[in-house]
Amino acid sequence: MLPDRLAAHLGVSAAAIALAIVVAVPLVMLLVARPALRGWVLAGAAVIQTVPALALLALFYPLLLVIGEVTQRVAGFGIPALGLLPSLLALALYALLPLLRGGVDGLASVPPETLDAADGIGMTRRQRLIQVELPLAAPIVMGGLRVAAVWTIGAATLATTVGQKSLGDLIFAGLQIEDWSLVVTGCLAAAFLAIIVDMALWRIETGLGERAWGKCLLGLGLLVVLVVGVTGWYWSKRAPVAEGERPVVIGAKSFSEQYILAELIAARLRAQGVPVTIRSGLGSVIAFRALAAGDIDIYVDYTGTLWDSALGNKMPAPRGVMLATLTAELPKRHKVEIAASLGFENAYALAMKRADADRLGIETLADLATAAPRLRMATDTEFQSRLEWRALQAGYGLKFARLTSYTPTLMVRALQSGEADVITAFSSDGRIAADDLKLLADPRGALPAYDAVLLIGPRRPELKARLAGLAGKIPVEAMREANWQVDRDTDKRTVQQAAAWLEARAK
Amino acid sequence: MTAPAIAPDAIAYDDVTVRRAGNAIVDRVTLKIAQGSFVALTGASGAGKTTLLRLVNRMVRADAGRVRVFGEDVADADPPELRRGIGYASQGVGLFPHWTVAENIAAVPWLLRHAPRRRAARVAELLDLVELPRDFGDRFPRQLSGGQASRVGLARALAAEPRLLLLDEPFGALDPETRVSLADKISELHDLAHLTTLMVTHDLADALTRVQRVIVCDAGRIVADGTPASLVASTHPAVVALIAAPLDQADKLAALRHPELVR
Ligand SMILES: Nc1ncnc2c1ncn2[C@@H]1O[C@H](COP(=O)(O)OP(=O)(O)OP(=O)(O)O)[C@@H](O)[C@H]1O
Ligand SMILES: [Mg+2]
Repeated sequence: MLPDRLAAHLGVSAAAIALAIVVAVPLVMLLVARPALRGWVLAGAAVIQTVPALALLALFYPLLLVIGEVTQRVAGFGIPALGLLPSLLALALYALLPLLRGGVDGLASVPPETLDAADGIGMTRRQRLIQVELPLAAPIVMGGLRVAAVWTIGAATLATTVGQKSLGDLIFAGLQIEDWSLVVTGCLAAAFLAIIVDMALWRIETGLGERAWGKCLLGLGLLVVLVVGVTGWYWSKRAPVAEGERPVVIGAKSFSEQYILAELIAARLRAQGVPVTIRSGLGSVIAFRALAAGDIDIYVDYTGTLWDSALGNKMPAPRGVMLATLTAELPKRHKVEIAASLGFENAYALAMKRADADRLGIETLADLATAAPRLRMATDTEFQSRLEWRALQAGYGLKFARLTSYTPTLMVRALQSGEADVITAFSSDGRIAADDLKLLADPRGALPAYDAVLLIGPRRPELKARLAGLAGKIPVEAMREANWQVDRDTDKRTVQQAAAWLEARAK
Repeated sequence: MTAPAIAPDAIAYDDVTVRRAGNAIVDRVTLKIAQGSFVALTGASGAGKTTLLRLVNRMVRADAGRVRVFGEDVADADPPELRRGIGYASQGVGLFPHWTVAENIAAVPWLLRHAPRRRAARVAELLDLVELPRDFGDRFPRQLSGGQASRVGLARALAAEPRLLLLDEPFGALDPETRVSLADKISELHDLAHLTTLMVTHDLADALTRVQRVIVCDAGRIVADGTPASLVASTHPAVVALIAAPLDQADKLAALRHPELVR
């Protein structure tokens, strides 16, 4: 996994920096010629910089989708909205500020009397630029370039969320399944790349300053060998992709259950002789759009999520209505089909320690409502702003003695240490069985259902028949166990092992 | 119309005006400088000396009137080409910090695409001429003293054997001894190379003994123009002040040396 992620990472970073340089050079020239524009352009670049890289990447996806639709209509071809293109554009934009700053400040740092002397001895504008301004500006310009390079290599780990292979694949997967060696490997590999590239650029910088062309060439050579060598190896290796049939692209959002199910689907398809690739770590909203646009062919989503994000419904509906409506509406509105309902839910629920619940005689949310004024509730940071919380209030009128929000890990700790009595939970979370938690029943149906469903995009309708066997085959207990195998701290299993285990249960 | 039989003036200002921020910093100046002459241009700070000088190589453009160099209107010339033909040492010296002394000196020959050998020979010749050791060629400007840098600036101006030399306060902030030796050097070079030299200087003492003609400007106008001796006769307050200043200094110096003479 590491070598090809490293190669892809380097490739996308190098391409983004190259693109940024191509954009920055004429812009710097313009800004030098028109100092009045300087404030505006630099402020614009600074604004881009304040957008978190993660959000910038995510924003390019819908933008490219729209552009792709236009080109499709006007010129008859679409453009890929997932993977390389959005990563390239977002990372290049991100690298723009340090490049512009370095260029403008560098050129402004050349003493005016030196420029005057250059004009006075009869240099042309071009000669002045190349012979005097650029060499004297080089340290600052190169400083900007080095910052841009290091940032880009770092931010490229986030390209994973828009489906671009990168070292972020290791980091995101590792963070999710709490495999710290994966996270550290990804981070170290990115740091290693950044250090090598920075060192090469530093050589070029000192070489330029000392006019030691050998040093410049050495640095440049190091860069070229690194980029061309590694990405070249990557391309040559990925050549044997079968010509005729494009592999099925299986998507996965960035949590354990999604990784496991993607592997399970992949194994099923491979067993039928269908070539597959997995794009994991996709942002939640991006996954659905990617499917509708044909960038991925299949992934697992949840009815409650689709109800809101794909159909735009703000009020929950009963479980059966939701599933039926989605089955009918998704093909019409998005050309996306529900191939199968897997048989389990990954819904929001409220959970207590089984011992506490039994002692207080709490079975359902209605029971909880009576006991709530004496209990302390901990939610994850997101929950209190979600529709589920309002639905709970409306359905049961819960009033707790105390209400606190935590990050998910700390929320669980609060329950274990007795600082909280009730927490929010996901119904397929492996912890529920392992920690012996009790999920409180919802007799009034206030909480929306989150049935896991297999979604199939417009390009590969035949997948429905191929995967029909999965319908209803994954009970929530099996999913919890598989999730736990990957999530727990001791005796951890790999995602593939968990998928194989689950496959054996789903026969 | 008859072709001029005599050689054209090296520099001819014809009713030239330069305006900046609403003020005429060169105000309707008409002036001719004959080929081969060594002329000092002087006046108080801000009088317009640098501006007058830079009109010649079109570093400043005239807002009205014309400047001719060897008979050709500079407005019609290609600025880089014009400037390569005129030796120019600017007020701040302005050596290229990232070039060696040798490369700085050879800058104009390099622009003119002289062969490397010829450039190297010229650099050696010029280092001798401005009395700097040959091995200074490998130094960078930051490794030079002020006086050495001025000499390199002078050598750079002379490198392509121009017919016309423009020097803007070549003595900058040098100590008196260096000033004198550099001033001697310049006048020697002037004679040697059959140059026309226009030299801006603050300080009359340097100029008076060496030049044939002194032009005094004040607030963008020419207020005196003649031999050093004729200046003494001028009654223009700017000229009087200019001459008085060094005399005043000399008095003070004398008073310090011979306190017994002062009552
Ligand atoms: N670009 C400009 N904008 C406005 N005023 C200017 C500009 N350039 C020069 N001046 C003014 O024109 C006047 C003449 O300037 P110039 O540099 O020719 O003086 P100078 O006689 O060489 O002075 P110094 O002996 O101090 O070098 C000065 O008052 C200066 O402030
Ligand atoms: Mg001046």
